[in-house]
Amino acid sequence: MTMDRMLTLGTRGALAVVLVVVALVPVLCTTFFTSQVGLTSLWLGIVAVSLTFLSGYGGMVSLAQTALFGVAGLIAARLSVESGWDPWAAALAGILAATAVGLLFGAVASGSQGIYFLIITLAFAQVTYFYFAAVPTFGAHEGINGVRPPAVLGDPVQDPARMYWFLLVVSVLAFLGLRHVSRTAFGLALQGVRDDPVRMAALGYNVRLHRILGFTLAAPVAGAAGVLSAWSNTRMSAGSISLAIAILVLTTAVIGGLNRLEGAWVGALIYTLCDTYLRGWTDRFTTWLGVVFLVIVLVSPGGVVGLLGSAGSWLRHRLAGGAPPPAAPSTPAPPVPVSSGGAR
Amino acid sequence: MTGAATGPVLRVRGLTRRFGGVVAVGDVALDIAPGERRAVLGPNGAGKSTLFNLVAGADTPTAGSIELFGADVTRLGARQRTRMGLSRTFQTSRLLTGLTVEDNLYLAAIGVSGGRLRLLRTGRDRTAREQARRTAESVGMTDRLATLAGDLSHGEQRQLEIGLALVAEPRMLLLDEPAAGLSRSERQLLTALLLSLDRDVTLLLIEHDMDVALTVAERVTMMHDGVVIVEGTPTEIRADQRVHDLYLGKAHV
Amino acid sequence: MAATAAVVVGVLGLLGVLLQAFEKGLGTEGNVPTFILITLNGLTLAGLYFISASGLTLIFGLLRVTNLAHGALFLLGGYVALELVQDAGMSWWLAAVLAMGASGLVGLVVHQLFLRWNQGQDLRQALITIAVSLILADQMLAHFGATPTAIAPPEWLAQPLSLGVYDLSYPRFRLAMLVAALVVGLLFWLVYTRTRVGMVVRAGVDDTQMTSALGVNVQRVFAAAFFVGSALAGLGGVFAGTALSLAPGQDQSFLVSALVVVIVGGMGSLGGAALGALLLGLVDQYAGAYLPAEYSNLSALLTFVLLAVILAVRPTGLFGKAR
Ligand SMILES: Nc1ncnc2c1ncn2[C@@H]1O[C@H](COP(=O)(O)OP(=O)(O)OP(=O)(O)O)[C@@H](O)[C@H]1O
Ligand SMILES: [Mg+2]
Repeated sequence: MTMDRMLTLGTRGALAVVLVVVALVPVLCTTFFTSQVGLTSLWLGIVAVSLTFLSGYGGMVSLAQTALFGVAGLIAARLSVESGWDPWAAALAGILAATAVGLLFGAVASGSQGIYFLIITLAFAQVTYFYFAAVPTFGAHEGINGVRPPAVLGDPVQDPARMYWFLLVVSVLAFLGLRHVSRTAFGLALQGVRDDPVRMAALGYNVRLHRILGFTLAAPVAGAAGVLSAWSNTRMSAGSISLAIAILVLTTAVIGGLNRLEGAWVGALIYTLCDTYLRGWTDRFTTWLGVVFLVIVLVSPGGVVGLLGSAGSWLRHRLAGGAPPPAAPSTPAPPVPVSSGGAR
Repeated sequence: MTGAATGPVLRVRGLTRRFGGVVAVGDVALDIAPGERRAVLGPNGAGKSTLFNLVAGADTPTAGSIELFGADVTRLGARQRTRMGLSRTFQTSRLLTGLTVEDNLYLAAIGVSGGRLRLLRTGRDRTAREQARRTAESVGMTDRLATLAGDLSHGEQRQLEIGLALVAEPRMLLLDEPAAGLSRSERQLLTALLLSLDRDVTLLLIEHDMDVALTVAERVTMMHDGVVIVEGTPTEIRADQRVHDLYLGKAHV
Repeated sequence: MAATAAVVVGVLGLLGVLLQAFEKGLGTEGNVPTFILITLNGLTLAGLYFISASGLTLIFGLLRVTNLAHGALFLLGGYVALELVQDAGMSWWLAAVLAMGASGLVGLVVHQLFLRWNQGQDLRQALITIAVSLILADQMLAHFGATPTAIAPPEWLAQPLSLGVYDLSYPRFRLAMLVAALVVGLLFWLVYTRTRVGMVVRAGVDDTQMTSALGVNVQRVFAAAFFVGSALAGLGGVFAGTALSLAPGQDQSFLVSALVVVIVGGMGSLGGAALGALLLGLVDQYAGAYLPAEYSNLSALLTFVLLAVILAVRPTGLFGKAR
């Protein structure tokens, strides 16, 4: 018992150390690393976590998260650059718009399940992409350049430290917020809908409403990532939300692990590191990315975080001197939604 | 609730469900009195589960009407019927496999009591949690509260399936083959549980196990090929030649 | 409600097209000749869509696998044929057959190595095929480059055919594509209506009943279906490479079209795929030509709005079976 407690404290301690190290990146690392790897993996992690939340807790594997990301990012960029809005107000407007679009997408897609859900959200991704690629208001293919983040956050290229810390805070808030939701009545019921919609209807739940609200709840998270991406890169265009990017976000989330929220950032960090440093080594970066993706899906449905988790519990088991593995954690890791299940 | 005390709790007329050419349920009429214990028997494919699905709102009838607690519910979904006080179990367990036993029961409790969309924890939460634990106790699962429903043994899954139907304190309970796959001792526990149910609860039970069915039920409805062929007391049913023929698989009626 | 609205919008759209086509009468000066050409473009494009989509729908109908590597296999077929015709000087026909074989083989290997033991886990299989398509597309980019290239059509299909009206002529090859689609459709129809495999596809049989319906060789039937489905993707690629051109990125755009076609009609439904292909081909061409100029760059969007509306009204497509 005391051993278990110590181990729990140990895990918490390890997490705290990780967080401190991550927070010290701007101090310890180069400006290039902070901005190229740090900023990118943080905003990519935030958009990926909106997908991890939907698929892990709601059984909805969505390709439309980049679309919502784009709605918020492009609207915020357009309002601040062309209409001279205050960046914070523009960001808020963009995120609200993304939430409204999320509600609409959720309402339309909530009747579909599994693979059909994947495909209807792919249609949303394409509609949004073609819309922004065609409409001159949003710079068409050129996009909107010269986006200026709020002055307090500093210059993301020359001096990315404050921007980095801001993204880190938003990441932590998104993580805590979504984790909190997953433990509330609403979040548990969402997991119930993931496991068996027919059962949930028989228990008195409005299954579609739950799906719609779950989808809507993830939208501002994806939207925030879009705004942060526009700020970090000082630009955004339709190309930032193409189908290839939608698939990239899916890849990131899968590599990190769809079972746990933190997987999103782990996957994003792995991707960004490879993207930054592997490209110099090999011309066939995408091939290797595909291979990693394939291997993860085949051998570890829980992604890298799942692998780390099993390694961790093996170690605990060892350290605890062969005592039975600890009882189920208070929030169980939901199984990967590998099948549309339910309404067969 | 009071108004329904006089009339039947469930009143079904002309109920029909076709699947392509197959008539799964054909022109069935049924009246269940308040507090009644009724068993529905019949060979495989008789249409029993389809009848349950229609009554519970999981399926829509091709024709006919369903009245529950005195109100016409033919057009209502499963969700509304559950909130009116109907609970059901499924022939093959449908559990929330990624959640713990306690969370399964908790969700079943708030499914009817409200607060399904709550994003904050409140006092009502505690009530529902207590309700969940009490039910776990009554179906003998207290020591499994923290286990994932997907990790339960078959017998335990059947227990939880019944637990899910009981938490919400329904006025009418539909059980689809609750004893299927249970061991002899588990069956005895189940029979005892069913006999101990509050008399306010109306019970409709599908069961192949004659021991369980005829011990619990006061009246029996016998179905075959989608239609009701006999209705009577357990004694009458035991004596009925057609029932024997059907269950021994001899000839058709 | 929404269904009626969708039908009304569709009919209005068609009326708009016809109005513009015939407003200047039937003379040579009018818009009718253009209308004929655009319609032919739409129909032949529909043929191309149908050929590649039929493979996708076969695989889905039988194995319940959504093969998202279908676009990559499509492009692979095109590139193989290009290499054989251009560099090895092979005849177009032989090259087409070999290209089908190559795509079919790669599809078969993917199925045997990765998908076979994940039967029933549809989302996991979809993710696997996404990974495969990333790898294939990048490898093709490495080997075939990024410059768009077209395959030379067979000699006797290279010349345009005179249509006999308004002095119009039309590329023979594109018409051949339509004929090929009809032949593929006919073969499928025969298989679907005359064989046990076809019965299984139409009935939407589930896993447990599959063995009794197909006999003990379910796995062999599945493998064959995957081969044929992938080979059809390859054939689509050969046609697309000849009628249009081949370039990186087309794997995704044709995968998306094939998905739209298959989903609009309902996965696994052959008639649905035919209808979906017609809708997509014609909407695409008419929207490009007849939408008011300021909206014409939104024509690509229309297809996906169509898809989203259909799925919203019927979550499993027009003729899809509820699962
Ligand atoms: N969803 C469905 N689609 C097509 N046919 C169905 C469907 N559900 C039931 N049937 C058919 O309806 C008939 C009645 O089935 P039902 O499941 O109601 O029987 P049952 O009496 O519950 O049998 P059992 O004792 O095996 O549970 C059967 O012939 C069955 O094949
Ligand atoms: Mg049954």
